[in-house]
Amino acid sequence: MPDFSLTPEQESLRDAARKFARTEMAPHAAECDRAGRFPEEIYRKAFDLGLMNLNVPADFGGSGLGVLDQCLIVEELAYACGGMTTSIIANCLALEPILLGGTAEQKERFLRPFCAQYQLASFCLTEPSGGSDAGGLKTRARRDGEDYVLSGEKCFITNAPHASLYTVFATVDPERQHRGITAFVVPRATAGVLPGKDEEKMGHRASSTSTVRFEDARVPAANRLGAEGEGFSLAMRTLDQTRTPIGALATGIAQAALDHAAGYSLKRQTFGKPIAEHQAIQIKLANMAQAVHAARLLTWHAAWTIDRGGKGTLESSIAKCFASDAALDVADEAIQTFGGYGYMKEYPVEKLLRDAKLTQIYEGANEIQRTVIARELLRQYA
Amino acid sequence: MEIVVCVKPVPEPDTRLRASANGTGLDPEGVKFVLAGYDESAVEQALLLKESLPGSKVHAVSVGPAPRAEEVLRAAIALGCDLATWVEAPAEVGSEPIAAARAIAPALRTIPHALVLCGKQAGDDESGLFSGALGEWLGEPDFGYVIDLRWDAASARFRFQRASEAGLERWECPPPCVIALQQAWNDPRTAKLPAILRSRKAPIARVAAGSPTGDAPRSVAETFELPAPRTGARMIEYATPEEAAQRLVKILREEAKVFP
Amino acid sequence: MSRHVLVVGEVQSGHLVGASREAVGVARALGGGSAVGFLGGAASRPAAEEFARLGIGLTLLRDDGALEAAAPAVVARAAKLGAEQAGASVVVLGGTTFGRDLAGRLAAAWDAAAATGVTEVAAVDGGLRVRRPVFGGRATETRRLEGARQVVALRPHAFPLPADAPVAGTVEVLAADGRALPSSGQRTGIDAVAAGAGPSLTDAAIVVSGGRGLKDPQSFRLVEELAAALGAAVGASRAVTDAGWRPSSFQVGQTGRSVSPQLYIAVGISGAIQHLVGMVSSRVIVAINNDASAPIFRVADYGIAGDLFQIVPALTAEVRRVRGLG
Repeated sequence: MPDFSLTPEQESLRDAARKFARTEMAPHAAECDRAGRFPEEIYRKAFDLGLMNLNVPADFGGSGLGVLDQCLIVEELAYACGGMTTSIIANCLALEPILLGGTAEQKERFLRPFCAQYQLASFCLTEPSGGSDAGGLKTRARRDGEDYVLSGEKCFITNAPHASLYTVFATVDPERQHRGITAFVVPRATAGVLPGKDEEKMGHRASSTSTVRFEDARVPAANRLGAEGEGFSLAMRTLDQTRTPIGALATGIAQAALDHAAGYSLKRQTFGKPIAEHQAIQIKLANMAQAVHAARLLTWHAAWTIDRGGKGTLESSIAKCFASDAALDVADEAIQTFGGYGYMKEYPVEKLLRDAKLTQIYEGANEIQRTVIARELLRQYA
Repeated sequence: MEIVVCVKPVPEPDTRLRASANGTGLDPEGVKFVLAGYDESAVEQALLLKESLPGSKVHAVSVGPAPRAEEVLRAAIALGCDLATWVEAPAEVGSEPIAAARAIAPALRTIPHALVLCGKQAGDDESGLFSGALGEWLGEPDFGYVIDLRWDAASARFRFQRASEAGLERWECPPPCVIALQQAWNDPRTAKLPAILRSRKAPIARVAAGSPTGDAPRSVAETFELPAPRTGARMIEYATPEEAAQRLVKILREEAKVFP
Repeated sequence: MSRHVLVVGEVQSGHLVGASREAVGVARALGGGSAVGFLGGAASRPAAEEFARLGIGLTLLRDDGALEAAAPAVVARAAKLGAEQAGASVVVLGGTTFGRDLAGRLAAAWDAAAATGVTEVAAVDGGLRVRRPVFGGRATETRRLEGARQVVALRPHAFPLPADAPVAGTVEVLAADGRALPSSGQRTGIDAVAAGAGPSLTDAAIVVSGGRGLKDPQSFRLVEELAAALGAAVGASRAVTDAGWRPSSFQVGQTGRSVSPQLYIAVGISGAIQHLVGMVSSRVIVAINNDASAPIFRVADYGIAGDLFQIVPALTAEVRRVRGLG
């Protein structure tokens, strides 16, 4: 039977993340959300404390943490602000392809200088023509001597306006469909790399998102990760690693919503008593608590599976899908618990709903998660 | 310079307080004990002095039971302290400042030092008694309410200020001495993740507590009370505004004991 | 059960400080007529007369200058000698920096049990029982100080100033303790505290907050005058800061600051939950409002329903009178 207790190391990590989240992130969450401000000073502090680049081995200057350790940290950060957390962990997503598909020389060349100082990186897969249909991406990589020339457009890329490094998926041969997709590491300084303007989003407004256009951007072949045509598999294996922490991010948002609702229900009085004594509210809180608890445990189990060397595709898809749906439901019910006040921007709960929504869409929309779950599941019956 | 910093494990600042089953103290069930408050400033000041005087070392010392005393030492190590010593003692000794000072003094006598730093008062009992008692038992001068502690190499003394009601006093004292710190030059630093992980494996020296003689004076906890939940204001009756004012001031002084 | 009590007096500008007078009150209650005063430093000789006026007949005085601006270690040694000479079993100190800084050292030197910040003290079999706030005032503990000797430092302003009870006062000069404490350190100067600046909202022991009940921005000064008289910080409800009467840094409430002072006085504040969340953990809450059914009275400890434009100035005047601010 698994032991559900955390090691003292894990408790230290979680406590450190919680302290950072409550003292550095939470006080600015509402203001950044309102203004759509990218709080670089907070991200720099996160970097200084070792909260960025969690998945990069300590040898290269990262924190070298397993998936469960990452989840413990990500949940605490997301409790304070989902948007800031998205930007803080975006480096992990962008650097994972290098960890999985890079040679020793590439890892040394890219990871060590990157992790030595505050920098942001972006994972560039989604395009205007398709997000879920990643296999059908259109960005072209044309071989030209010792280089590849990239042209195309990526969209909804986290941190793109601020990144110094892009991990880009492009096709060397559209005819081969997903088997033509190839991964490249592209420094921002490359001519022809054009990040767009920050988009105005419904939530995660402290995070920055934009298009990235590649106009004949010349990238050395030495920056190609793995062989031509291995990019799609690399992208999928990357998402296998990064999907579970999104479950933790959603869990953090859900826990915050539950805490707000429960706390408020004990203070707010209607019909002569605290609303926590009304059965309608009790049932809501009970449902919310079940959802948060389940989301966390599914996330922990998926993380534990991956940390033990398992692929964890089924477990992580279940965790991400369930936790993000749970976050949305819990945030929704939290607003309902606050009643009219929940609808006012002065109160923190409506932001939680807007932040929860994205977790159902990004890092693999939940519709895709469900097809993945079905596929993995049915394999067991074949 | 060899600097000793004494750190006390105290309940995390926003802990929900509950009386223990026998009603004599805080119920420690589920309470997280951390390095907090003025002790954080003391560690920060120790590290700042160390960084300004190359070759210096900071030795963190704590007295109390497992696991809380060890945890607070690991927190100090994660911040940058070089060495740590745990004086093992029961909770009642670790938490009462005179008993704690008596328990910790023998260990400090074996650690050569120019300075012993601690926080002005602990976050739980807030007595401010520890540094004075420790100074007496170490035979070193002690000063409390210290801000802006500096080392003046030219005169080989510590220079500092003490915040008192009369104003800001300026002091100097040659080493060794015991300083209870109110404020460090900078805000306390936060430990980084790699240091936190390394601190878990750092060695901590473990020593027995100095024990009191049989009839040593004791401070014994009797009751621990939380304020009763509020049931509504006691409305003050009055005929004139002056009477209302007089009654309120009298109540605040004599009953509520909050009046300055 | 009475005790032999020594009060260590603190002198400023030639007078006993208020905290020392509070200590006299406690010493008389504990020791009956046998309380003894202790003063250090030539400048404190006139204060011996104040001790006598408050009912302490015998004052032990160290007037050799060694205790002028002396390190706590030095004062503690002298106070210990004074306690031994007086045959005291209890030493009472005022709750100032001087008193609190002395308590631990004296307790160790004199082999006594000790407590500071004490709000109640009583003699019991085998020692003293004291009550004191802990955890930032969020809880109170009582402790039994056991053994032959105890040192208590009082919480400032927790005890009343004693009434005059003049007795004939004698002053005994104590011989200096020849053994100098090696390397005690010395005071090199003092910068008097700047007047005028009030405490910050989150640190203050007392907060006075104003709400829309004050009707207009000019009237908000009633709150500020009361705060000045109390040495308190000033807060405001969101309605006041939204209306621009004061900057948003004054706001106490869910979307403003959270405060938990010893005393919170809410003037003209109705008590909407958004405000309550920011101050409800204050130790004592007083509400002044013209509407007796305002929600604030549900969480306040004491309330005055009435015209705040009359009550608040009267309160300010009474506070000033009691504090001797003139």
